[in-house]
Amino acid sequence: MSTTSTKSKYPTYVILGSGGHTAEMCKIIQALLLQPSNCEKYQPIRYIVANSDVTSQRQLCAALPALTKDSDDPFISVPRSRSVGQKWLSTIFSTLWALLWSFWLIWRDRPQLVLCNGPGTCVPFGYAAYLCRLLGRLPTHCKIVFVESYCRVETLSLSGRLLLPLADIFVVHWPALAARYGHKRNLRYFGRIL
Amino acid sequence: MHLKVVYVTVGTTKFDALLKVMTSDPVLSALKDRKCRKLVLQHGNSTPVGETQLKLISTNYTIEVEQYKFRPNAEDIRAADMIIGHAGAGTCMDILNNGKPGLIVVNDELMDNHQLELARQLASEQYLYYCKVSEVADSVANLDFGALKPYEKATENMQKFVDALNELMTH
Repeated sequence: MSTTSTKSKYPTYVILGSGGHTAEMCKIIQALLLQPSNCEKYQPIRYIVANSDVTSQRQLCAALPALTKDSDDPFISVPRSRSVGQKWLSTIFSTLWALLWSFWLIWRDRPQLVLCNGPGTCVPFGYAAYLCRLLGRLPTHCKIVFVESYCRVETLSLSGRLLLPLADIFVVHWPALAARYGHKRNLRYFGRIL
Repeated sequence: MHLKVVYVTVGTTKFDALLKVMTSDPVLSALKDRKCRKLVLQHGNSTPVGETQLKLISTNYTIEVEQYKFRPNAEDIRAADMIIGHAGAGTCMDILNNGKPGLIVVNDELMDNHQLELARQLASEQYLYYCKVSEVADSVANLDFGALKPYEKATENMQKFVDALNELMTH
């Protein structure tokens, strides 16, 4: 009997954020893994959590019970690029540090997909992935997918604005944003998906 | 519509103004008039209501008040007849996905109040009501919570997204 893993050797990176971001991402991952063929295609999934985030792991494990059965720890803890209300000057340093971390992780793991939905944690990962792809380090089919937060109706989040130029697909939920950014070739609007 | 059990939630935020108004006389009177018997306050990172005040509410308005910081709140949401919350995405989704009438209160103290966009959009589609802190008493007293539209699941649209993602990953 073959014991070879059917998982892709290039993981999927899913970036988690606090509160509502994780709740939204849980729904997305649940829908994604509904099809058995997707389980194979996207696994192994690695969930990036900011080290200050205490609730996301619990939320995710509650939404995806199969997670806890995974032998490898699917969570990777990283420094946060910016805390809510953090002064802008110190933000520069913490962002650079987070950028170095994400660059190292992306270089090490070579993810096939970086999936994120808006928390500040995802910005360094988006840029690191883009850079690694340019440098030829990532598999050629590597993609960056950004799903804007459900609560962004008329304006993009800061993370959204920063990652809009880089994302292969940029998803919005509401008609006002779809109209405003419809001219961008990477924009996708399916109505609300949550 | 009777609002026997009302659940107030602020998620992970600090929203002192909402808790203050929810335990103020105009709101408590309005709740009492609408036959409220239990008020559950999830205070998150806000300053909790004092014990003495909780007892007073119970005595003066015959409304039992339960208060906590954080806990998995699926049961609290299911048990509520109406939910009053901040405009966070998680809270809005919980309210809508559980088919509950909701009143979203916008936090004026937040710098970048993009939360208002969501509350306004959902309210314009008649899925819930939204108001400012100063309007809570009036809203609780007078709004017809039975008139809200049920929120349909977005399964088809989510599938379109999954299909698009699959297509992207196979090229």
